[in-house]
Amino acid sequence: MQTLYLAIVILALLAIVCGAILGFAAIRFKVDGDPIVDQIDSLLPQTQCGQCGHPGCKPYAQAIANGEAINRCPPGGETTIKALADLLDLEAIPLDAEHGSEAIRTIAYIREDECIGCTKCIQACPVDAILGAAKQMHTVIVDECTGCDLCLEPCPVDCIDMLPVEVTSASWHWQQPEQLIATSNLPHSRGESDHA
Amino acid sequence: MHKIWNFHGGVHPVENKTQSNQLPIIVMPIPAQLTMHLSQHIGKVAKAIVETGDYVLKGQLIACAQGFVSANVHAPSSGHVSAIADRTLPHQSALSGPCIVIDTDGKDQWATLSPTANPESLSKPDLLNLIQAAGITGMGGAGFPSAVKLQPKINIHTLVINGAECEPYITADDRLMREYAAQIIAGIQLVQQLIDQPHCLIGIEDNKPEAVAALTYAADQHTNIEVCVIPTKYPSGGEKQLIEILTGKQVPHGGIPADIGMVCQNVGTVKAIFDAIILGRPLINRITTVTGKAAANAGNYEVLLGTQVADILAFAKVDLAKTSRLVMGGPMMGFTIQDTHTPIIKSSNCILAAADLELAPVADHHACIRCGQCEVACPAQLLPQQLFWFAKAEEFEKAQDHNLSDCIECGACAWVCPSQIPLVQYYRYAKGRLKTINSEAQLAEVSRLRFENREQRLVDEKLAKEEKRKARALTAAAAQAAKRAANPSAEDPVAAALARVNLKKQAKTNAATQKSTEDEYKELKTAAAITRTKLNKTRKALTNAQAQDHEQAQALQQTVIALTTKAAAAAAELHAYEAKLGLDPEKEKTLQLAVAKANGVVRKLEKSLATAENLQQLEAEIFNAKAIHEAAGLALEEHQANAKEKPTSTQES
Repeated sequence: MQTLYLAIVILALLAIVCGAILGFAAIRFKVDGDPIVDQIDSLLPQTQCGQCGHPGCKPYAQAIANGEAINRCPPGGETTIKALADLLDLEAIPLDAEHGSEAIRTIAYIREDECIGCTKCIQACPVDAILGAAKQMHTVIVDECTGCDLCLEPCPVDCIDMLPVEVTSASWHWQQPEQLIATSNLPHSRGESDHA
Repeated sequence: MHKIWNFHGGVHPVENKTQSNQLPIIVMPIPAQLTMHLSQHIGKVAKAIVETGDYVLKGQLIACAQGFVSANVHAPSSGHVSAIADRTLPHQSALSGPCIVIDTDGKDQWATLSPTANPESLSKPDLLNLIQAAGITGMGGAGFPSAVKLQPKINIHTLVINGAECEPYITADDRLMREYAAQIIAGIQLVQQLIDQPHCLIGIEDNKPEAVAALTYAADQHTNIEVCVIPTKYPSGGEKQLIEILTGKQVPHGGIPADIGMVCQNVGTVKAIFDAIILGRPLINRITTVTGKAAANAGNYEVLLGTQVADILAFAKVDLAKTSRLVMGGPMMGFTIQDTHTPIIKSSNCILAAADLELAPVADHHACIRCGQCEVACPAQLLPQQLFWFAKAEEFEKAQDHNLSDCIECGACAWVCPSQIPLVQYYRYAKGRLKTINSEAQLAEVSRLRFENREQRLVDEKLAKEEKRKARALTAAAAQAAKRAANPSAEDPVAAALARVNLKKQAKTNAATQKSTEDEYKELKTAAAITRTKLNKTRKALTNAQAQDHEQAQALQQTVIALTTKAAAAAAELHAYEAKLGLDPEKEKTLQLAVAKANGVVRKLEKSLATAENLQQLEAEIFNAKAIHEAAGLALEEHQANAKEKPTSTQES
């Protein structure tokens, strides 16, 4: 009987100690905010284009954390969907066509001699990438433009063009070789050329 | 004899070096036009400092280095700048890049040079400045600015000089070592002087005995320069591989040789350093091998930088009709060029004009059979097959985890592959995509910050607006107060009106309360009486109904209950009001009864007096009764007077 009481006392003490440690840890190492939202946000392309139906990437990240579909980001495309699927342990689904299709990255350019200086595009730009003042010509800071298209619609004179990003020798890279499975009609073997 | 180690993997392709290394270096005549790329190096594009139409002298600085990792560009010959425009780059992409085009005048007139007679007197910064000013970059292939490489942060104990030249066909370094051995050794001494006299190891493959002999002879007097003969194996000329062969040490993953106290320089670079410091000549020419079965005069040529490939091919009598592929660089790591107007840059060591069947054709490739030969051949000890699968499946992160970045793209794996899979292209593709993904991630991070800053700014602006509005309201109030203070006699019309209204209201309420006391009492009394009467009536009806109709009786009973409650409530309300007023109807009633009783007694006694015999007794009794009646009347009067007085007093209090 004494053994039984001893066991109960020991277990009770153990429970109290563990509970205290857990309680302390819960307060001491409390995580501020929702870390999953930040993780999702870091995978999104941050174009802030709103094509997903949210006013920016962070709100969409929040929505995904609350269970919204992960296939509503056209600028991110397949890559983003894949990364999100990996993070959230979901299945990678094709892009939702309702929200747009994956397109090549473009950058906004203002046809400067047509600009009337209305500042409407400046107010629309989610990343402050347009420079200008009232009745002064505006211009896009190309390095900061995310290609979100949001400046096109408010422009009263339609002087903004979305142009594809040019490939430079710095950004160029090899393409994946075309996958061809050869038949046996090769004119010569590799060995011949080596001994030639 | 220095001990030689080995590195993992490697292959032994047919060397094909004798075609071009038999003849001495031939100096190529000045071409009519020179196209100087502003980006002949790794790092930022140099900035042109001449304009179209300017006359430039040979060796004159025409473009300045921008930033730390960049290199100067000099005019290779005298002439006029005919254009500053985009021209085809000597790059796999065949894209265009900024160039300075010089139409040479054939005079080859040098700019003023400042040679150094006694280099021992030069300080380290002087040496570095001279190397930087001369625009020297690695001549082996990568084109990394040498001045950057030669200012290591930690102490360097070994200087490795790369004379391996392991790639088939190329013999530019071979001929250079044979013919400029003394200059190379002098250049090595300058580098040693610059980085605290490290021990120097020159690695040369054993298929170049003449070069070994020449350098051994030249280095004879120098105890800290050692010529090491290494076995011929591709890619022993890779920086990390050569270091492993010569020292047995491996450069850590993601690191540079300086991390393990070593610096590696190509023999061509060392010669360029000699030219720059001793002769004062910037880097404007290089030795380039022209070879391949289509080249009639295969050999090594000293060409000016910016010379177009077409001019070199013509000079070396290359039969373009026979050429199946034109490769810049060697057969293993070079790239095919389409445009023969592509110029030579600082790192162009070979032009290979391969005739039909000379190089393996770009063949259709078979499926991977998982033979594992690529893994055996890989000098970087990677898993080429795994990397191939990852690149094909676009799983770039996984490829990165399998150390894709350590791949030196030597092509050994593709060379051994029995399925002829272009493995290196897959790796380059994966590397390129990773680079894009990383740069996009960086851009996304910037965009995120800018977006968040903007949101914050908008919120701040809104708050500031609100603050401003409040401040304005306060200022207006203060102004009003000041106005009043300045003119105190002027009463505030609003306040006065309000006060008047308040007064009126108060008066009204007072009147209402005073009037209501008596009325209310009466009302309550009536209400209680009505309820009581109703109750009694219903009770009577109930008694009647009980005798006749059972159903009606039940309904009536309920009404009775409801009325009883109502009557009780009315009575209670009346009592409460009476208590409040200090009335006591019960006592009044008792007193009234007493008065009536006493009156009755007096009347009775007076009546009996007329008939009675005992007069005296009766008279006494009547007197008593009258007294009682009077007393009762007095008490009643007193009570009523009290009751009337009380409500007024309660109200006043």
